[in-house]
Amino acid sequence: MGRPVAIIGVGQTKHGRRMDVSYPDLVREAVLRVFEDTGLTPNDIDGVVSGTMPSMMEGVALTHFYFADAMQAVGKPIMKTETCGSTGVSIAHTAFYWVSSGMADIVLAVGHEKMNEGDSQATMTTVCEPFYQRHFVAGAPGAFSMQSRVWMDNFGIPEDKVRDAAAYISKTHHDSAFDNPYAHVKLRVTIDDVKNSKIITYPIRLLDVCPNSDGACAVIFASEEAVRKLGRKKVAWVKGIGFRGEEYYFGDSDKAVWQSAIQAAKEAYDQAGINDPRKDLDVAEVYNPFTFQEMMFYECFGFCGFGEAPDLVLKGTFARGGQLPCDPSGGTLCTNPIGATGLIRVAEAALQVMDKAGDHQIPGSKMALGHAMGGADQFNGVMIVGSEL
Amino acid sequence: MANRVAIVAVSQNAGAESKDNFYDQAYRVVKDALDKAGMSREEIHTVVSASSDIFHGGISCANAYYWESSAAFLKPGSRQDGESLFALAYAAMRIMTGKHDTALVVGLCKGSENPENDTCTHMFTDPFYQREVGLNETVAAALQMRLYMERFGVAHEQCAKVAVKNLGNALRNPYAHKKGIYTIDAVLDSKRVIDPLTAMQIAPKSEGIIALVLASENKAKKLTDKPVWLKGYSSSLDTFNFGDRDLLNGQLKNAASRAYKMAGITNPRKEVDLAEITEPYAFQELLWCEDLGFCDPGGGGKLIDSGATQRDGALPVNASGGVLANNPYVSRGLQRAVEAFLQIRGEAGEHQVGKKVKTALAHGTHGFAGQCHAVAILGS
Repeated sequence: MGRPVAIIGVGQTKHGRRMDVSYPDLVREAVLRVFEDTGLTPNDIDGVVSGTMPSMMEGVALTHFYFADAMQAVGKPIMKTETCGSTGVSIAHTAFYWVSSGMADIVLAVGHEKMNEGDSQATMTTVCEPFYQRHFVAGAPGAFSMQSRVWMDNFGIPEDKVRDAAAYISKTHHDSAFDNPYAHVKLRVTIDDVKNSKIITYPIRLLDVCPNSDGACAVIFASEEAVRKLGRKKVAWVKGIGFRGEEYYFGDSDKAVWQSAIQAAKEAYDQAGINDPRKDLDVAEVYNPFTFQEMMFYECFGFCGFGEAPDLVLKGTFARGGQLPCDPSGGTLCTNPIGATGLIRVAEAALQVMDKAGDHQIPGSKMALGHAMGGADQFNGVMIVGSEL
Repeated sequence: MANRVAIVAVSQNAGAESKDNFYDQAYRVVKDALDKAGMSREEIHTVVSASSDIFHGGISCANAYYWESSAAFLKPGSRQDGESLFALAYAAMRIMTGKHDTALVVGLCKGSENPENDTCTHMFTDPFYQREVGLNETVAAALQMRLYMERFGVAHEQCAKVAVKNLGNALRNPYAHKKGIYTIDAVLDSKRVIDPLTAMQIAPKSEGIIALVLASENKAKKLTDKPVWLKGYSSSLDTFNFGDRDLLNGQLKNAASRAYKMAGITNPRKEVDLAEITEPYAFQELLWCEDLGFCDPGGGGKLIDSGATQRDGALPVNASGGVLANNPYVSRGLQRAVEAFLQIRGEAGEHQVGKKVKTALAHGTHGFAGQCHAVAILGS
């Protein structure tokens, strides 16, 4: 279906509290890195896809204007893709379709966010409907803590076990971030540190939660013909994509058996020919702004049965040496410049199958999943990449 | 184009303030488009919408709000921000890959719930240099207009004629927000907003929910006898710093030449039968006509004087009344495509042009003095 498309290179900023650069310069840093990584120049680019969180985040609207120069996009065809937190994966989807359709051969995708210049939780509260829901949902933790309660109750998972598994995830991801030169939070934590950290919204504690990061990510997508012409061997072929959005009203849908996540993954699996994701995938970059939610994604993505995730987490199934390592980059938990985050998941998945992930490489990765979630648990997007066409 | 994509049905709402809430408005227009295509929601494979977030409507992540009422519930979908013609192109790309057979494109902008247009456009500025000086789309347009008149000797009266023509055309368009028979003097004597722009040369703030059903070639032929094909498309982005740009030598030429090339058009003056252009400021219709190759550089004033762009002219421009009559900020580009579709099908009602329309151009622009342009070529 359509022309095959590959990711041929990625560029990331050093994510974190980047008060040393302006927002356009942050974007420029990622874009220059992807040109360095691929050896291409802006002249090689047929189109640019840009995306971010809503304008309230940094107080600038329609930022493709602002970053026209930083993205090297002057005189180029442009797309501006935004789907809330899932923006990063939606940007990757747009770049994929643009190349796959034959409308372009080489497309630059750029996601960005400079969260330390605004109030991210205030912004996210305005995602919610203004009359009934906005007053109840205090930013992201409110929605996600309710969701984690629903999940525990639904499957009768003891709270202590979930707490232990979440702490395990937090500890191992914080350890992994030390192997990722671009990660934001680099902090050695123990299981007890996580369990005793400050309550944010019960049962979620500080070390269960992602940071506010400044960061940008740039990824270049190319057609099969362009890959051959450029003589590239190590590329990440796009094997499957999926996206679903569900009810706007938070209470209207089951957030434990979470249809947007389940169906987005299924769509991508069907395209990639994946039947048993835990076996067929070598690594997954799951969007995990909250430790609890990461386990729900394991279940919705079919990595294990419903209600089983905490047990498997505690067995190490999803740790770096386990059967299906998840978020070896440290994930969203350690780095979250939201508009870039989904694209970082895709970029990290691509680095793994290109065998270019450095110290956090999972050896022999051939098939990897990148994912992002957006809205008040409303949207899920997935992209699967593989080392073989 | 390898896999051809057709528009098979369209729907739009009226530009004046509606009592319907956003959900209902979106639902009605989308349902109407599906009914016209003879399709159920289940037959739509993918939905691409266009909207803008908190500064247009008070909701961050606008797609969250209208996702279900625009038929996208549990469907593969996406959203474009700022320019709705992006969404048309993106939905077409989705079909061209063969992954999807049908697509719904929806542009959404509920002007009556938005702040003033320039409260929003002011937020395009960077926070350090340009915001402090109060730059917004109207200030930028006023500077561009002054330059245009000085460099090419275009007269105030020629700019005002665009408003006279478009607001007059709008009398025949039931969806138009502003309309009426005015004299050039009335336009020039209307309130001076930002010199040299007067109030009637500036587009209003309108409602605009727009829906189009797209289909692959095979599917389109089953759905309609009169498919309208997307023959060409491109967009182009200009540099950010306002003072760095030559405001009369922008990116529209680039976007147009790429779209023409894709559509196989070598002489737009002859091959384009009708154009729907985004002219939030009257003089911009003249300037954009030059950049689109409808006349020589600097010839926009003479073009309107010649009558060629009138509804009964050789190359009707904005027979619907254009954006001066109806300005739902984000949706306005897609509305141009809807009008082009209706003209090609001969279904534009009282504002149907007299001549046969085989090829029509839809243009969208957003940003200061046209920082970004998109051009779509539709044909029978």
